Amino acid sequence: MAVRTNPQLIDDLQHFGATDAVKCYQCGNCSAACSHSEDPYVFPRKSMRYLQMGLEKPLRSALDPWLCYYCGKCSEQCPRGAEPGETMMGVRRWLTSEYDFTGISRLLYRSWSSELMAILVVAALTGAGFLSYGFMGGGGNLSVYDGPGAFLPPHAIHVFDWTMGIILALLLSINCVRMWHFTMRNEHALPVRPALYVRYLLLLPVHFFTQKRFRHCENKTPWANHLILMLSYLTMLTLIMVFLKQMQAGPQVNWYAHSFGYLSAIGLVGTTIFAIQGRIRKDAAYHRHSHESDWMFLGLLLFVSFTGIAQHILHRAGLPMAANITYVVHLMGVVPMLALEVPFSKWSHLAYRPLAIYFAQLQQAAQAEGALPLGRPAEAQPAA
Amino acid sequence: MKSTTETKIAPVEATAAARIGVFLLREGGTPPPAVDYAMLAEYASQLPGVAAVRTVAVSAAMDPEKLAKEIRKAKLNTLVLAAEHPGFYKPAFARALTLAGGVGSQVRLASFAERGDCGGAGRAREVLSSAVRGTPNAPAAEPSPSAFNTATLVIGGGVAGIQAALEIAESGHKVYLVERTGTIGGRMAMFDKTFPTLDCAACILTPKMVAVSQNPNIELLVLSEVQEVSGSIGQFKVKVLKHATRVDASACVACGDCAHYCPVTTASEFDMGIATRKGIFIPFPQAVPNTYMIDPAYCTWVQSDGKKCGACAKKCSKGAVHLDAKDETVEFAVGNIIVATGYDVLDARRVERYGYGTYPNVLNSLEFERLTNASGPTGGKIVMKSKKLNKKTKQEEWVFEPDGEKPKAVAIIHCVGSRDKNYNSYCSRVCCMYSLKFAHLVREKLPEAKCYEYYIDMRAFGKGYEEFHERIREEGVCLVRGRTASVVERDGQLYIHGENTLDEHLITLPVDMVLLSVGLQPSQGTSELAEKLCIPRDDDGWFRELNYNSEPNSTMRQGIYVAGVCQGPKDIPDTVAQASAAAAHALRSIVGATAKAHAAAATQTSTEIAGTPARS
Repeated sequence: MAVRTNPQLIDDLQHFGATDAVKCYQCGNCSAACSHSEDPYVFPRKSMRYLQMGLEKPLRSALDPWLCYYCGKCSEQCPRGAEPGETMMGVRRWLTSEYDFTGISRLLYRSWSSELMAILVVAALTGAGFLSYGFMGGGGNLSVYDGPGAFLPPHAIHVFDWTMGIILALLLSINCVRMWHFTMRNEHALPVRPALYVRYLLLLPVHFFTQKRFRHCENKTPWANHLILMLSYLTMLTLIMVFLKQMQAGPQVNWYAHSFGYLSAIGLVGTTIFAIQGRIRKDAAYHRHSHESDWMFLGLLLFVSFTGIAQHILHRAGLPMAANITYVVHLMGVVPMLALEVPFSKWSHLAYRPLAIYFAQLQQAAQAEGALPLGRPAEAQPAA
Repeated sequence: MKSTTETKIAPVEATAAARIGVFLLREGGTPPPAVDYAMLAEYASQLPGVAAVRTVAVSAAMDPEKLAKEIRKAKLNTLVLAAEHPGFYKPAFARALTLAGGVGSQVRLASFAERGDCGGAGRAREVLSSAVRGTPNAPAAEPSPSAFNTATLVIGGGVAGIQAALEIAESGHKVYLVERTGTIGGRMAMFDKTFPTLDCAACILTPKMVAVSQNPNIELLVLSEVQEVSGSIGQFKVKVLKHATRVDASACVACGDCAHYCPVTTASEFDMGIATRKGIFIPFPQAVPNTYMIDPAYCTWVQSDGKKCGACAKKCSKGAVHLDAKDETVEFAVGNIIVATGYDVLDARRVERYGYGTYPNVLNSLEFERLTNASGPTGGKIVMKSKKLNKKTKQEEWVFEPDGEKPKAVAIIHCVGSRDKNYNSYCSRVCCMYSLKFAHLVREKLPEAKCYEYYIDMRAFGKGYEEFHERIREEGVCLVRGRTASVVERDGQLYIHGENTLDEHLITLPVDMVLLSVGLQPSQGTSELAEKLCIPRDDDGWFRELNYNSEPNSTMRQGIYVAGVCQGPKDIPDTVAQASAAAAHALRSIVGATAKAHAAAATQTSTEIAGTPARS
């Protein structure tokens, strides 16, 4: 069976942040040092090898990169001074762009100017859209924040956010199906019975909410930080998608809804600042390299958090007009962040990581049942 | 007739006024020059005849036309090219000078890499000044033949030092062999077997050691260190600190009575600490000189200022022990110096994840050499350490006992601290082969035991090495391509964990003993010695040879040569070969100077003879 190689693969991955795979001399120290690496998912050396050999297809069908949480132990011990952890990070970005059928992800990751431009365009459209809606379709009065006649009433926002949510979920789902196709339907993958898919389904929510695999890393701080960020984000999302009316009501503080809001705001701001600090100090291996997309993601997150907090405070302070303007600015951050990050960029790993764990488990279950690879060579072929 | 000869050799400057252009070359792709070019340009502009000083970027594809334009503009007729290695660019400049109407041969080179005094700005100035004036570099000039001292100092008494000393001494010239420890033999004396022939190391080395002790031309100074070196080739002055052995070498018959009564026991350096010795000791039975010596750091008499003990002196039937002997400084002159200071192994404690120093049965390579050596603590039996109560400290210790338990599985880990940016990024060159040798010894002595080797790349580069590799493979040693990431102990069992990169599986193996193939690094004190001798070292700390390819024995200083591992990791055959080559270098200068001195003496004699009748 011929193996196709793509000599440009290693150069292509440079744009995604995997810059030093060429240094690797295949000693395997990284794979053995990693606390997540175990048979049959032995990494990160294999990914380095794929890059060196230009094995695009095996790399695209690999689950390994999603099983790595980048604690940086491999990079610290690498005798060649390479950073396999960063290569895995780059491969994850590349995989995200491979799973994405629109090609947008690839464009955003490969060119920071495109990403910045996309953010600005979406932000401008959002601003213009909400302002024109506010003045023409909504309350029409910029100095009314909540209650009847509100500039941006919650029910209108709900129509918008649910529509957007469904579109984004749809895009992400298509990408997830592509991920399944690449990783579970390639010639080396084992066929999995539908019953197994059902039996292990619980893995998805468990790993989604606890991220417990991350805890296997020796250093637990990144896991805790990541979990707090994710839970804060989810809480905030739920509040906005479901309880927006209670959240917007004021000017008194609605403790039932707002206490959750405050907690998640603290969580979001705290963890984001922690991450930014780490990336500036570069004191840990996993923070040593920052792709442009990392900065834009953190920047957006911080921007959204602060504008959200500001509009809340301005409203309670009895400044409805300022609150409304800040609200629109806030939405100009939220919409590009979600629209670009969820299906095409960093946020997508919320789906890909649990899926990868699930798929890996399914493969192992199939192996235990004695399944044979999908692409096994046809038997009794006459020798040429 | 006479006048024609004169015109032929007369330099151009004699006829026309010299207009010298000094070109300081900046080579692309190489690290920036260590010499301060601005300072050098300033200096050059003040030298006689210098009309222009330029700092130019040079490359392999230089355009002589452009250079010619510049030369024409400044009206230069002589060029001086200054750089680390300017010779490479000479053709381009010679062509440019010809194009500019000059004589192509009037290009002189000032190489900062040239031999001379200590490095740095001083030498750069010296070299440049000599090139501008057209005179030889003074520090490189040899003394007059009659003042050339024919003795040679050899620093380091390992196999390289022994070989070099014997080569020179056997050709009839004096050698001072200075050794820091109490015996010559160095690392090789500690080995059990040599690869790839599996010869007994001692069988090769000890006859050479004895030859050293018996050669009247060799003055052996053990427990000695070079303190000071001054002068230049042909007339070095050397000061050596000779620590007192406190035992009269001419009286001692090495009967061992003194050690028997010595109350102090400590770890033996020769056995890498896996066996013990007394406060008065002989490093090993075949030591040269075969004399007992006292270690003042552990001697009760020395430590108590003569108030306690002194048992050895009382028991010595020959009266050879002089406890109050003092260290002395010896001074002598030599014409050449050969440096053969060898190596130390990397301290495996630095590679924490292999557990050396924590787990008793994780050994470094030299410890295993001693363990498997018939003169080692177990008589050459490969056993695990066993727990034993130390009666003095009342603590349990892990020690090697001849009747210890035999390991059932032994793992050998290659490249410990070598080829690793976190430790030494260079390949130590000998570890692959000695690891294969270890595997053979394990399989030979313990046929029941499994033996695993974890390697990254198998570097079997020498004559017969690949065949040796094949042989070990066929002997049933399990060679795993992959680096071990960690050694851990669980419930008293060692496990090694690594990836077999050929089948992409992780493996965790229970083993009883782990041998770490630690890399080589310059021996302790190398940097101090480099300062004393004023010779540079390379980035990894080894002594730098004058030219990697053509002068691997010579250093920046004429008359100082390097031999063996101190110049870079190498195996025994290469070390011996280099030692002989270094001796040849020294002998060449000795023979040359002697011949010149004889010739001068003969000329003088003949002049005198010719002159005698005329006077009478």
